[in-house]
Amino acid sequence: MVQTLTSIPKKQRALPGLRLGRLPTPSRELALIGVTVFTVVVFSILYPISFPSLDNFRAVIRNLTFQGIIAIGMMIMLIGGNFDLSVGSTASLIGVITGALMKKMGWPVPLAILTGLCLAATCGFINGFIVAKVRVNALITTLGTMGIFQGVALLIGGPGIVYLPDSFARLGQSRLLGIETPVWTLLLLGLFGHYAMAHTRFFRQFYFIGSNAKAAHLSGINVEGLQIISFIIMGLLAGIAGILYAARIATASSTIGVGAELQAITAAILGGASLSGGRGTIWGALVGVFFMALMQNVLIIARFSSEWQGIILGAVLVAAVAIDSVLNRKRVS
Amino acid sequence: MPDPEPLLKMRGIKKSFDHVEVLKGIDLDVLAGEVHAVVGENGAGKSTLMNILAGIHQPSAGTISFDNQTNLTLPDTKSAQRLGISIVFQERSLFHQLTIAENVFAARQPVTKFGAIDRKKLARDTRALLERVGLKLDPKLLVGDLSPAQQQMIEIAKALSLQAKLLIFDEPTAALTLVETNALFDVIRQLKEANVGIIYISHRLEEIFHIADRVTILKDGSWQGTLRVSETDTDELVRRMVGRDLELRHSDAIAAGNPILFEIKEITDSPQLPHPLLRDVSLSVRAGEIVGLAGLAGAGRTELALSIFGMRPRAGGEVYVSGRPVRIRSPREAITAGIGYVYEDRKDGGLFLDMSIAGNIAAAKLDIFGSWWMDRAKEITVATQFKRSMQITCRNVQQAVQKLSGGNQQKVVLAKWLLVRPKVLIVDEPTRGVDIGAKAEVHSLLYEFARQGSAVIVISSELPEILDVSDRIYIMREGKITGMLPREGATEERIMRLASLFT
Repeated sequence: MVQTLTSIPKKQRALPGLRLGRLPTPSRELALIGVTVFTVVVFSILYPISFPSLDNFRAVIRNLTFQGIIAIGMMIMLIGGNFDLSVGSTASLIGVITGALMKKMGWPVPLAILTGLCLAATCGFINGFIVAKVRVNALITTLGTMGIFQGVALLIGGPGIVYLPDSFARLGQSRLLGIETPVWTLLLLGLFGHYAMAHTRFFRQFYFIGSNAKAAHLSGINVEGLQIISFIIMGLLAGIAGILYAARIATASSTIGVGAELQAITAAILGGASLSGGRGTIWGALVGVFFMALMQNVLIIARFSSEWQGIILGAVLVAAVAIDSVLNRKRVS
Repeated sequence: MPDPEPLLKMRGIKKSFDHVEVLKGIDLDVLAGEVHAVVGENGAGKSTLMNILAGIHQPSAGTISFDNQTNLTLPDTKSAQRLGISIVFQERSLFHQLTIAENVFAARQPVTKFGAIDRKKLARDTRALLERVGLKLDPKLLVGDLSPAQQQMIEIAKALSLQAKLLIFDEPTAALTLVETNALFDVIRQLKEANVGIIYISHRLEEIFHIADRVTILKDGSWQGTLRVSETDTDELVRRMVGRDLELRHSDAIAAGNPILFEIKEITDSPQLPHPLLRDVSLSVRAGEIVGLAGLAGAGRTELALSIFGMRPRAGGEVYVSGRPVRIRSPREAITAGIGYVYEDRKDGGLFLDMSIAGNIAAAKLDIFGSWWMDRAKEITVATQFKRSMQITCRNVQQAVQKLSGGNQQKVVLAKWLLVRPKVLIVDEPTRGVDIGAKAEVHSLLYEFARQGSAVIVISSELPEILDVSDRIYIMREGKITGMLPREGATEERIMRLASLFT
């Protein structure tokens, strides 16, 4: 009795704290949209001619397709509590292989693409199998395959394979309603990815795995199988990105993907993902990619040297996550 | 001759966590050169009391005197160590990839005048300490390569290196064999002769009669007396540890004629496991029956549940649901076979903390929300029904589970399994860290579930809970079933005897 009596005032004292915790905290996605809009407004005022033109925005969008497609996959990985550092190398490798098949082996373009995509899925499967079944840490596994895939790409393609067939290049350059095929591809993949992650039972399972893999396993979710599938999807998307990029410039460069993995992870985290998993949305990843492309564009227009891009994006990333972490801690306590 | 002034004197120690008083005024005296045992059931407050001594927790009320210093405050472990109070953990605080010497002198290595670690002195000092605990080992060996008993001795050597005047042993023999236990007792006797005060905590009452001078009994956070070991016996200790009137649970007796719904036969752990434990475990549960599984920590109750649920490889044994043998190699197959398992630690293996209540409840039964398109509205409707029927206190079911109280979190985990509608539900520590009101609600949910014709197995370290909810009770010790008591004949004393004294 005494216990319950003395506990009442304590509970009342605890209430204000709780109420504070109930204040809605803006999601990282919305905050990023705010920052993006702010950037656009500021630079439209500072550079009224070169920045806010339709051509400039089209260029920004065109340039982010490669990153965007990879970031969709990276977001799925991060939601499931994993990541893949080999995506850049996979994109290079698949681009080079597809290019080599049509240029050096003379394969028909569709068959070369199909083979490239199958190999991309295989790259993903290799990663997934080692991580989920052999249980090697994802960082180590994909760091290793990153080197391997990059090396194979250089062996096959040298610096790159140039003058790819026109029928292939059309894939990257043709337009529909004034918008290039790669941009359409990104839009479709983004829409489908969003629909899948937000609304389908199958893909929703990744949120459970990322949130608590042990609880997911105990709830009857096939954790290992789904992890492998996420790596396969990631591989496929990296392959698509690599092929489209090669088509766009009619050249399969062996080093096109260098650094793409860290940029994709940066974009996904800016867009709401967490390295510990269970959080994030596909549209958040796309906003993240757009923001990064915008920063790059803005810095070029403002005639900053390219070194500044890394400095500013790095600072934005750390700041975004730090603010989030502080807000989270407040919410919990 | 007057009693000597005690080395340690604790008076009226109280401690509350989240409005729950776990220590309700404890007195404890330990003399220099005395082995003082502290006994009590799980949850009686032994660990909290020791953590206060070690400076991990601070008491809400009461005074501590130690070594002629009165009114001490122990704000952290460092200050307790400086006074000369050390806890010997069960191998918990050792660095397995470092050497013995580095472990013993962790962060306090002797240095040369150039500031580098003085390896010669380190080895010499370590060897001297090892001799005191009866180990003849090279200080350069890795701790990970030692046996559990040797690791235990390293812990003691570490405590001695801190010039401890009071050593606390918390379940030191849990991982030791009989021979190793005797070696430990020799060391304790030597420490005693060196005038070190010793607090000895153990579930194994026979050990207390072997090694201790006096014993203090705790029950539900209150002091139940301090006795001289020479003037008491096991029966008296057990009576004081558990002695309370039993409150009977729901009155409806189960129809003993109900068919057996769940049965396991001779489940034995695979010898490939790092610590095989289960041996020939058999039990059965009738439809509508609640069966309790009692035992001390480490008896193998959770391991048995994990084995049934496909999480622990077996060397042999069969599982039958509704009389048919089922093959289970993963939780998925267990769920398909009609078995549900509420894991012992809801944060570790039960909840998706940053997801919504609705998402959590749906987790084990996603297929009813659509085979491809996920009907999120239905997810919310279903969860809202559970919120109402189980009285889950929350703003709405889209709230993150993280922010709920322990009791409400536990209800969410239970709701997840009730949605699956398993034929057999195993609940492991269903009310750990849950307040008294929510505890009663969880229990009535289990009764209701059983009444609908399911079989329920309740694993709990709290004997009153087991006695409260169970129709029959199986008792485990060291991976084996050591007895089965019908509810009528079950008392805490009889359970404790089967759980701790059986050899």
